[in-house]
Amino acid sequence: MKLKTFCTEHESFILGTGFIVILLALWESVPLWYTLPKGMALFFTTPSKVAAAFQQLLINGEIEKHFYVSAIAFLAGLGLSIVVGLPLGLLMGRSQTLEALLDPYVTSFNASPRIVWLPLMILWFGIGIWSKIVIVFAGAVFPLLINTYAGVKNVNRVLVNVVRSFGANEWQLMKVVVLPNSLPYIIAGLRLAIGRAILGVVVGEFFGSSQGLGYMIASAATNYKVDVVFVGVAIFMALSVILTLAVKQLESRLASWRPETAKTF
Amino acid sequence: MRRPLAKMPPFIRANDITLVFKSKNRDPVTALNNLSFEIERGEFVSIVGPSGCGKSTFLNMLLGLVRPDSGHMQMNGTPIKGPGQERAMVFQEFGLLPWRTVTANVELGLELKGVAAAQRTQRAMELIKLVGLNGFERHYPHELSGGMKQRVGLARALATEPEVLLMDEPFAALDAQTRDLMQAELLQIWERTKKTVLFVTHSIEEAAYLSDRVIVMTARPGRTKQIIDINLPRPRDYEMRLTPEFNEIKSRIWEVLKEELIPGSRR
Ligand SMILES: Nc1ncnc2c1ncn2[C@@H]1O[C@H](COP(=O)(O)OP(=O)(O)OP(=O)(O)O)[C@@H](O)[C@H]1O
Ligand SMILES: [Mg+2]
Repeated sequence: MKLKTFCTEHESFILGTGFIVILLALWESVPLWYTLPKGMALFFTTPSKVAAAFQQLLINGEIEKHFYVSAIAFLAGLGLSIVVGLPLGLLMGRSQTLEALLDPYVTSFNASPRIVWLPLMILWFGIGIWSKIVIVFAGAVFPLLINTYAGVKNVNRVLVNVVRSFGANEWQLMKVVVLPNSLPYIIAGLRLAIGRAILGVVVGEFFGSSQGLGYMIASAATNYKVDVVFVGVAIFMALSVILTLAVKQLESRLASWRPETAKTF
Repeated sequence: MRRPLAKMPPFIRANDITLVFKSKNRDPVTALNNLSFEIERGEFVSIVGPSGCGKSTFLNMLLGLVRPDSGHMQMNGTPIKGPGQERAMVFQEFGLLPWRTVTANVELGLELKGVAAAQRTQRAMELIKLVGLNGFERHYPHELSGGMKQRVGLARALATEPEVLLMDEPFAALDAQTRDLMQAELLQIWERTKKTVLFVTHSIEEAAYLSDRVIVMTARPGRTKQIIDINLPRPRDYEMRLTPEFNEIKSRIWEVLKEELIPGSRR
């Protein structure tokens, strides 16, 4: 009985992890029932080998070193895009002048792939941290800016009138209605921005770096160290999951007033 | 409630108000055309009129959110040029901030005025009690019924101690019983606080029950068609609605309003 309630309560967790465990076991068992041709065996690895490589890289401090470099580029780029994109999105949504002034640039930059700027960034900022921060920023700032802007544009007119009727100035209006009303949009933008920022880190390090997790993956691949490649991939996957969960946590904290979705059949 | 001296200016005065909505790719809509009337301090005045005749637009003007194209609006002898704390509105669809608790919603006006937190919470508590929402201070709007939400709207409007309460179909979204209850409570609060109330409604019964005078507006473009005095004794109670006098007044309002509602019957 107790086991049954435990299972229903944690249903999605049990199903999720259970499935992963099964997949990993299947993958591990591939060499037992199938002999790969020689050429392919070179590019094949198993979870246990990946785990061993991970342990190795952990002990010799490689991971820590690369992780640190990537994390700095990620945090600095994302932080910068929040500091710039959020206020700019709010202002663009409220001021028609600013909207007319900036909209062509936002649209054209956002519609074009940011990667085309990478060679120029490397020329300007070198292969150090700065070119990567700029690329991360360029990827993350637009979803944040555009989502914030969309949120402001969709603000509830009645609520704006309510607040204005109490004599609120533009700044108070922003703080009391516009910002809270746009919050779901901003959070969605943040989620997109995180994805873009991770992509920026990886791509930046693939092409313009001698350090970082992206570089670790790229250089391992050129040396046929497939298990190291998988270590890098697994780290990025884990980080993405953790960051997504963190945003969800942030969202549920900020939107604690929102009605619980009722359980339906 | 009548003016004691003919020389004293009326408390609220709207004079020849005209407003035309102009939008791109669309014919201009004349919402109000030469609307005029006067309201005395402490009066309870209702406005009835066909849908789309500009009642909400007019309340928004008095609130200071919409500027007329021509005409004058005065309150206490000074022209109305924007929002002011002597006027507050109770909105039709409540207009509560969904992310704020009942208390924080009631505090809104005081907060925007810069009243200290402790003071405004105390004031909010008084008003929550006045509208009978004790025990729901920390609830969010989505946890309240329609009637409770409108009590919050009323408390919020009263919090800044306005002299005039503008109410735009405040009870339209409520069921019949809750509506009766809210009407009775509004009358009690009005008698206690001596506010001037301008009340827009589609219900003739409601207008007749609550008001000192009922302004009947024409179909769009809105003008004052006729002003009907309701000389029923106060305090009024539910039983009064069953008297022949009350029904006579209702049918008088209906006779005037009817001409505006039936197309082609005007003039
Ligand atoms: N922002 C706007 N832009 C253009 N036209 C508008 C706008 N607001 C209102 N109108 C028009 O002005 C007229 C009056 O609108 P208003 O909302 O004041 O009517 P109302 O008397 O309150 O109607 P109801 O009883 O249905 O609430 C309507 O014909 C409406 O179409
Ligand atoms: Mg209306």
